Amino acid sequence: MKNLKKALGVVLTVAMAASAVAAVPAMAEEKTAADYKIAVVPKMTSIAWFQRMEEGVNAYNEETGADVFYGGSSEGADQASYLESLLAEDWDAICVVPFDSEAIAPILEKAKDQGITVITHEAASMDASVRDYDVEAFQNAAYGENFMEELGELTGGTGKYIQFVGALTSVSHNEWCDAAQALQEEKFPEMECLGRYETGDDATSSYNQTKELLQSNPDIVAIEGSASTDILGAAQAVEELGLSGKVAIVGTSMASICGDYVQNGTVYSFSVWDPAEAGKAMIDLAVASLNGTVEDTMALTADGYETIENVDGDGVFYGSARVDVTADNLADYDF
Amino acid sequence: MKKGKRNSMLTSTQMILLYVIIVFCIIVGLRQPAFFSVATVINIARAAIFSACFALCEMIVIISGGIDVSFPAIGCVAMYVPMYLIDKGMGSQSAWFCFGVAILIGLGFGLFNSILIAVLDIPPLIATLATSSIASGGAVTIFGSHDYTSLPEGLQKIYNTNLITYVDPNTGFSYVLNILVLVPIIASIIVAFLLKRTMLGRGLYAIGGAKHAARVAGLNVRGLQFFAYIFSGAFTGLTAMIYTTLMKSARISALMGDEMIIIAACVIGGVRITGGHGTVSGTLLGVLLITLVQNSLNMLGIPTSWQRFVVGIIILLGTILTSWQTKRSLKAEKA
Repeated sequence: MKNLKKALGVVLTVAMAASAVAAVPAMAEEKTAADYKIAVVPKMTSIAWFQRMEEGVNAYNEETGADVFYGGSSEGADQASYLESLLAEDWDAICVVPFDSEAIAPILEKAKDQGITVITHEAASMDASVRDYDVEAFQNAAYGENFMEELGELTGGTGKYIQFVGALTSVSHNEWCDAAQALQEEKFPEMECLGRYETGDDATSSYNQTKELLQSNPDIVAIEGSASTDILGAAQAVEELGLSGKVAIVGTSMASICGDYVQNGTVYSFSVWDPAEAGKAMIDLAVASLNGTVEDTMALTADGYETIENVDGDGVFYGSARVDVTADNLADYDF
Repeated sequence: MKKGKRNSMLTSTQMILLYVIIVFCIIVGLRQPAFFSVATVINIARAAIFSACFALCEMIVIISGGIDVSFPAIGCVAMYVPMYLIDKGMGSQSAWFCFGVAILIGLGFGLFNSILIAVLDIPPLIATLATSSIASGGAVTIFGSHDYTSLPEGLQKIYNTNLITYVDPNTGFSYVLNILVLVPIIASIIVAFLLKRTMLGRGLYAIGGAKHAARVAGLNVRGLQFFAYIFSGAFTGLTAMIYTTLMKSARISALMGDEMIIIAACVIGGVRITGGHGTVSGTLLGVLLITLVQNSLNMLGIPTSWQRFVVGIIILLGTILTSWQTKRSLKAEKA
C-alpha cells in the first residue's frame, strides 16, 4: 500500500514536472500563487501584528485570484503542534514566522522531506538546512543608521543621547544600536552616547530609567528605543517632565502602542515594518522558489521588497521595507 | 532593663535597614550630587507605589504561613479585563467601573486561592503557581493580548490629578507625584492597625507561627487563611488598576515576573518566610531599599550589564542582615 502510494507520488510528480516543462514554452508565462497550494503560518494569531499580516494575505488573494491559506495557533507556544498538523495536507509551500525556532526546526525539516518548500521570515539566524529561503524586511545596520539620521537632524547634530534595548542579549536590538552609534561617531561627532540601557521590554523600566537619567544628565537631548515599549515609557517620562519637543524620541514601535505620543508630538517618529507586506513577500518568494526563478538579486511585488538581495549567499534575502511613521501617515499603519 | 530596650531599638531590623538605606544614599549622592534633590524623593515615591502595595499583600500572606506567587498574573487579568470590556463597548469610562471590576477579579482569584489552600490543603506555593498559570493562560486564550495604551476618561482624570508638582530650579523640569501615592500610605496605616491591634491580626501571626497550636487554642485557622488570600487578591486588583492609571497602559503580561523581587523586599524587611513574623514598617523599608537600588544604579554609573548582578548582591546582603537579626532575637527570646 505504502509502495503504491510512493509509486503514485513519483508518477504524479513526473507528470507534473512534465506538464510544467511543457507548459512553460507553450504559454511563456510563469505560474502564480493561484497555481500552488500555499500556507502562511504566523507566530500566533492573537495579536494585532499578525492580524495585520492576515489582512495582507487576504489582499494578496484578492489581487491575484490566489487562494493562499492563512492560519496559526492563537498562542506562540502551540505553533509547533499546529504546523505538524498542517503537514497532513499536500502543500506546495509553507511560509512560517517562527516563534521558537528550536521547537519548529524538526517540523520544518520534516516538511522539506515531504517535498514542501519552506519560506521563513524574522528567522535569519535559523539553520539554512531547515528552510529553502528566508526573507527579512531590512538589514539591521541600515535600519539602525536611520534612527541616528533622524536624531542628528532633530537635534542639529549636538548633545547627549541614550539608547534603550529590550535585552543586552537581543541580537537585533544591539545591531540597530551599534549601527546608530557608529554612524553618529562618523557623521555627528558633536553628539555623545551616554550609554545603552536594558528595559526588559517593560515600559515601566524605560519610564523610570528615563526620569533617573534625565535628572542626573539634564543635557540629554535624544532617546533611541529598540523594543516596541521602550519609547512608550520614555515618552511618558519626557511628557511628565515637561520636555515634549525638547528631547527627541525615535525608535521601533507600533501605532497601537505609541500612536498617542506620535499624535501629540512627544515621539517624532517610530519605525516599523509592515507585516502585511512581509506576508505578501513570503508568498512571492515561495512562488519564485517553486518556479525555480530565485536569483541572488530579485524583485518581488510586495511594497518594500521591490529589490531583495541574498547578501551573504545563505538564502536570507533582505528587502528595504522599513516604514517611518509620523503624525502624517499614522492612520495608514494602524496595527 | 531600660538600657537594654533602647539597645534593641537601635539594632532592630528596621533600624539596620534604615542605616543601610542612609549609607546607600550617601554613596549615590557623593557620586552624583544631583541625587540630593526633591526630585529623587518624588521619583522614588512614584516608582515604589506598586511595589509597596504588592509587598503589603505578600506580607499578609507570608505572615499567615503561606506564600503567593500568583499576584502578578491576577494583577494582569485585573487590569486587562476592564480595558478589554471598555474597548468592546461593554463597559463604562468611569473610574468606579475600572477599579470595581479590577477589585472583583482580584477578589475572585483570592477566593480561588484560599479554597485551594484552606479547604483542599494544597501547599500554598503549588496552589498559587497553579492559579497564576490558570489566570494568565486563561486570560490570553479568552481575551487575546492587545496593548491598551489610552486611558478611559475616568482614569485619565485621576492620572491628571497630582498631589505635588515640583519644578526643579536648576533644570526647569517638572516632577509630579500622583494622588494615587496616598493608596499605599493609607493601606499601610490600615494594615498596621489591623495586624497590631485586632484579634484578626493577632490570629494571622498565630496561624503563621504554629498552625496546630493556633487551632488547639480555638482560632478559626481556615477563616483566617481565607481572609489573608482574599484580602491579598482584592488589593492586588486595586493595585493593578493603579498601575494601569499611572503607566497609561494595560498589557496581559505587564506584571509577570515581579513576584520574586516583591518577596525579596518582604524578606529584607524582616518578614520571616516561614510565617508568623513581619511588620509593615520593615516591609516598607525593604521596598524602599530595593526601589532605591533599582532606580539609582544608572546614577551611580554602574553599567547596565552589571545591574542585575548588583541588585542580586544587595538582596543577598539585606537578607543576610535580617536573618542574622532573626537568629539573634530568637536567642534573646530563649535566654
